[in-house]
Parts: sequence; C-alpha cells; structure tokens
Amino acid sequence: MTSTQSQSNAPLLRMEGIGKRYGGVRALDSASLVVESGRIHAILGENGAGKSTLIKIMAGVVAPDEGQMLLKDQAVSFRSPAEAAAAGIACVFQELSLIPDLSVADNISISNPPRRLGLIDRKAQRRLSEEALARAGAGDIHPRALVRDLPLSRRQLVEIAKALAWMPRILILDEATSALTASDVTKVFAVLKRLRAEGLAILYISHRMHEIAELADECTVFRNGRNVASYAAGTRSNSEVVEMMIGREVSSAFPPKPAARIHAAPVLSCKNLGWSDRLRDISLEVRPGEVVGLGGLDGQGQRELLLGLFGVLRGTSGTISIDGAARSITSPGAARAGTIGMALIPEDRKTEGLLLPMTVRENLSFAALDRLSRHGVIDRDRENASIEEMVRLLAIKTAGADTPVGALSGGNQQKVVIAKWLTRRPRILLLNDPTRGIDVGTKQEIYQLLRRLAEEGSAILFYSTDYDELIGCCDRVLVLYDGKIVKELAGGEITERALISSALNVQTEPEAAA
Amino acid sequence: MTEATENRLSLRARLPGPIRRADPAVLTSFGCILLLLFLGSLYSSNFLSPEYLLQQLKVASFLGVIAAGMMLVILLGHIDLSVPWVMTMGAMMACAAAGFGSTVIAIPFGILCGMLFGLLNGFGVAYLRIPSMIVTLATNVVAQGLMVLYTGGFSPQDSAPQAMRWLATGYIIPGVPNAILVWASVSVAMVFLLTRTTFGRSVYGIGNSERAAYLSGINTRRIVMVAFAVSGALSAFGGVLLAGYASKAAQAMGDAYLLPSIAAVVLGGTSILGGRGSYLGTVAGVILITLLQSILSVMQMPEAGRQIVYGIVIIAMLLLYGRNPASR
Repeated sequence: MTSTQSQSNAPLLRMEGIGKRYGGVRALDSASLVVESGRIHAILGENGAGKSTLIKIMAGVVAPDEGQMLLKDQAVSFRSPAEAAAAGIACVFQELSLIPDLSVADNISISNPPRRLGLIDRKAQRRLSEEALARAGAGDIHPRALVRDLPLSRRQLVEIAKALAWMPRILILDEATSALTASDVTKVFAVLKRLRAEGLAILYISHRMHEIAELADECTVFRNGRNVASYAAGTRSNSEVVEMMIGREVSSAFPPKPAARIHAAPVLSCKNLGWSDRLRDISLEVRPGEVVGLGGLDGQGQRELLLGLFGVLRGTSGTISIDGAARSITSPGAARAGTIGMALIPEDRKTEGLLLPMTVRENLSFAALDRLSRHGVIDRDRENASIEEMVRLLAIKTAGADTPVGALSGGNQQKVVIAKWLTRRPRILLLNDPTRGIDVGTKQEIYQLLRRLAEEGSAILFYSTDYDELIGCCDRVLVLYDGKIVKELAGGEITERALISSALNVQTEPEAAA
Repeated sequence: MTEATENRLSLRARLPGPIRRADPAVLTSFGCILLLLFLGSLYSSNFLSPEYLLQQLKVASFLGVIAAGMMLVILLGHIDLSVPWVMTMGAMMACAAAGFGSTVIAIPFGILCGMLFGLLNGFGVAYLRIPSMIVTLATNVVAQGLMVLYTGGFSPQDSAPQAMRWLATGYIIPGVPNAILVWASVSVAMVFLLTRTTFGRSVYGIGNSERAAYLSGINTRRIVMVAFAVSGALSAFGGVLLAGYASKAAQAMGDAYLLPSIAAVVLGGTSILGGRGSYLGTVAGVILITLLQSILSVMQMPEAGRQIVYGIVIIAMLLLYGRNPASR
C-alpha cells in the first residue's frame, strides 16, 4: 500500500501497478510512471516493451486491467480519449490524424467545435485555432488553409496545435518526429521547449537517441511491460541505456549453425535499391545455404525491402539480380516463376498469407496451382500427393485437408502459409516476421525448418522483430534504419547489444571479450 | 484417432465436389423449392405434373445461363449490372447476323458481342480500377445506346433464325426442351470450371482476399478480366436463347433479368462479398425464383404485388444467410 500524501508538490500524474493483457500476451505488468509539470519526459524501450500500451491507457484509448492513475492525487479512469482530453491529457500520434480535405481550423476543433445555437461558431473556431497555432509556433499557417495543401512538417505542427487546443496539462508525443526531416525536427523541438517553459508536462516517445539526448529532462526505460529504470537525462551513456533495454529471458532453442560456410555465388542480390523515401540505396547479397536476417526497429523499411524484391512495389529504382543476371521482377507471379523461384511469407497471415474460409487443401496448393495442373485442369492425384507431403513435412495438425484453414491454431496456420510456398520448392525464401504471435513449440519447428532448407541450398532472407531469433537463426544480419542498411553483422558479432545499438543507430563501446 | 481421421478424410475427398461442398444454404434452397411445390399443389394439382415442371425448367434455363455468369463475377466480390442490355444486344446482334444471311455465325456472333462488352467491363475493373458497379452500369447504358441507334428505337426487323428457335424450343430428347439441355451443359461446364480448374480456384481465392491471391503469384487482373468476359458471353447467350424462344429480339427484353440473376446467385448461398458459394446453390436459386414467379402469376397476383413479394423474399433470404460469419 502506498500512502500518497496530499502535498502541494504532488506529481501531476502518477501511474501505479498498471497491468494490461491482450489475450495471452502481457503488454504491461505492474508498470508505473510519474510525470511532473514543466518537464520533458522521454520513454524508451524496444519494440513491444509496452510503451504504446501505456500511452493508450493514459490517453483513454484502452482501459487498464489493473492499477491506478492519479491526476494531482485524484484517482481517475478514462473511458474515452475525449474524457482524457477533458482532464488535460492530449496525445499527438505517430500517424497523422488530420483530414486532408478539411481546413486547418476545422481539423483543430474537430472533436469539440465551439457552438452557437447548435451550429458551429466559425468565428470562435477560427480564433481558437489561431491561438492554438500560435502556441504551436505555427502562427503563419492560415486557419482556412486546406490541410492537403500543407507540407508534411507543417501538418505535424497542426497536429500539435490540435492537441494544444484542448489546453492540456500533459502533452504526449508518440514518435511524432519520425516523419520529419532534421530541420523540421529542430522547429518542433523549439516549440516543445517553449511549452515546457509554460509549465506543460511533455511525454516524448522516440527511438532516436540523439533527439532524446537533446530534448529530455528525464528518461524512463521500459522492458517486457515494466519500467526498469528512470534517470535524469544525460546521466547514462548510450551503452548503459542499451544494456537496460536488453535482458529478456531467452525463450527458444535454436538449431546449431553449420560451422563451414559454403562460398557459392549469390543467388539473390540487389544494388542501390530505392523506393520513394522508404528504401534508400539498399545493396545486399544472399548466397545459397545462407540465412540472412533483417534487423532494426519496426518500420525502418524491412517490409518494403521484402515486397520490393518480390515485385510488389511500383517504381523501385536500382537493380535486382538473380544468379548474377539482372532481372526485372514486376509481380509476385514473375517472382515465383521457375528461373527465379522466389517465395514470400507475408506479414499478416490472416489477410495476406491465407484464404481463411477456404480449406487446408485449397490453401496449400494455391501458390502452386500452375505446377499441380495440366492445361489449367487441376491434377487431383498430384495435388493430393503434394498436400500429404506438406502436412507430413511440417507436421501440420489438422482434422483433414478439407478443414477450413481458419479453424486451425495460429501456429498451424503459419505452417500452412510456409508450406504453400514450399510446395513450389523455392530457391529464394523471403520471410516477413514469420513467428509473430505463435507458440514457442511451433517457433522452434520453424527455426529447424529454415536451417534445413538452407542446408538443402535455399537462400533465406528473414525479417524478425525478435532479436533472439536474429541471433539464433541468422548467419548474417543486416540492420536497417530509416530505409538504409546501417550495419552488417556476421557470425559472433550478432549480439543483442550490437543489434540494439545499431538499430538505434548509435555507437557503443565494443563488448568486452569473453 | 489419426487413422480414423485419415480414413474419413480420404473418403470425403473422394466425394464429388458439389456434395462435399454442400452447405446449409443450398439445402435450404432446395427445401424452399419443395415447400413452394407443396404449397402450389394445394392450390392446384397441376403443379406436380411433369409437363408443368418441364415448362418451368425451360423458363428457368434462360435465367440459369445468365445467373451462371453472374455467379462467377459475384464470387470475385464484384457485380455485373450490364446484364439487361448485353443480353438484349446478344439477341439483336444474333438476329441481325442472321438477317445478313449468315445463319451459321448468328449465334456465335451474338455471344461474341456480349463477350466484348464483358472484356470491356473486366478491363475497367481490373486495370482501370473502377468499381464494378460503376463500370457495368455505364457499359449497360452504352449497350442500350448502341442498340437504340441500331434499331432506331423500334422493334428490330429481323426475326430469330431457325437455329435459335431450335436451340430454345426444339427437342433432341422427346419431351425435354433443348433449352434445358443447354442449361445443363452450361452447368456441367461451370461445375467443372469452379471445382477442377486453376481458374476456378483463383476465382474463389480472389473473392476471399485479392491481396493474398496476388501475393501468391496469381495473375489477378487476368482472372477478373476473363470472369467478366464469361459473364458477358453468358448474358448474351441467355439473350440469344430468349430471342429464340420468343422468335425475335425486343427492346428492353433483358430488363426483367438483372435482379433475378443476382437474387438467384445470392439465394443459392453465394456470398455477395465473394469467395464463398457453390454452383448447385445457384441452380437451386434459379429454380426457386422461377417457381416463385410462376406461382405468383398463377395465383393471379398483380405485377405490383409480385414485385413486392419478390423483394421481401430476397431480403428475408439474405437475412437468413448473409449474416453468417465469413468462415463456413
């Protein structure tokens, strides 16, 4: 029992023992946080450390399962974002939430427009937005301008103005600078510092360590749904911070990596691959027998890279070579064809990997229909043989080949997604986070399968959000940051420390030799 | 346990496609058909005579041919609203070709015109990415305009050639009108197409998740194009049969076929959102609708009342199946 004394200097917001479960996953586990007025408080943590959930609870988007929130020593619970905003907590989310075809003023007061006689009071609305824009350091934006006509950095300022229009006491910015260029970031920082001087509490979530060093007064590190450390900004080195973010228990066993590497010519390579501003100048090579990992924080271009190689993206620049010869791959149909033999296990198995209401049979043969048919007519014997082989090879647990695939467990569904591509015996296998949301047992089977496929000569490119997997499975890991490969780690260099510090794009002193 | 499941699995796998896939919606439809016949027989014993039933099947066969094409498009998650005038165009063009003296090519020419319009629909949907509802509505009007231009707005001069009349009303098997045989052949082809070919699998796949189908390497655009082309061709073929039955083409002869063709497909258990449904259900839906129309008219219900009952039945059936979750 914590006895909170009623003092004049009680913290603005105190969260205690907050817990939240999503199904079987614990997103937050007795987490706590103290937010003070006039301070910028940075929150750090890996993917899935619980930062976003904490913010969503604070902003009234989700309700906590346990724990309490005290606003100036008053227990509060929010049932909706509007309630949180009314209590003085406003949030700027990472995805821009503005409606492009409405004016700036309309957007700023969209959830609570000033009204007269039940109609929107346009004059008051305009005054309100002018004030909010001025506070956000964007007094030069005209309230009647359409959001669509503003450049991205200005839109982000409008977004901040929109949050400020609630007259919040706490302003939360969730990756609010990830879409901005360096010069825009400087402008936003000036605004944030002024707001701090006005006495606002600012919660700042970012993966960019240098931004945090420049801006924050204090930092809290999250790991596995708990706050593991709080410290005054500037008192810890980058490598100490990385150390604090590491430290999950290793939950999986991995098959041994073969000691001797095959030095074959690369089967897949790309040079200077670019796409819009999401992929920049990516060059890589994957050899047969090799498992190459893609690391980095979520959303640094890994998905786009896999889709780009698979021919899904329009307007990529650079060249993709198969067996050393440049090939133009314009669609998944071209990518899977015989001489290329590529396969992609997509990110979302429910909408991209599987046809949920259709049967295990239909799903397993779907990517290889051309191989299992003659003149467009499906050869049932060949289809049955291939399905039996795959069900056995991957030990898919199903009541029968005519069970809808949606009735299978998550792990078995994922096996079907992989098996449907193995039916084609691909030479190049691209995997996009294939073990997300599946049980440990199936994960291990997938690791073993990947290693076996590599030994049989497949080239594997494997994106995972789980660092343990990259360490345990991969011969090499390419770390992406902001659409670029910033680091290549091989063999013994692949450690959690190296992965996290290169994912955050910071330098740490080398690990002491064991 | 595994052995038992495997036995059951292989036994199930050996059953023919339509039975293996039979879902409750199809059984419900056939149940409704029996119920309608029973109610009809209370009214008049003629409802159970072979002559009446064969006559109903003959009338149903025009709708059946059109609904087969509509089903392909609906399975993709799209819709073909160009049925009325593509159908009329098929009929008029076939008669026109016959009028120019080439009876041999009359029927293929009519179907070809429908297929071209279907290709146009498919191109708009697959490549220009226009919603099918808009494209097909527009091509319907274009077809109407072309036909009004061609006929000057009057009934066309050419009457249906002998071949067309024979196809619709002649007899190869004594007592069984050829139209029924045509419908049966189209049906056999459809069942084969949907259950045994890569094209059919792809149609179901695209209807469930176009994204997943595309990422599986399916040429989704081509499949969509082909499906619309088949739908256009079958609409025109339906028009050819109807013109043979009526011995001539007429303005707006297809108008009465748009709603029934969609309704038959949906009543047969095909999901209006695509991806789910069996052809047997569509056959049941066609018979159900034809019987409903026939009984309403035998009971001398006025046209207005018929339309109202019709609409209400369709809404009631949709409530029955449409609210099931997407997984079977």
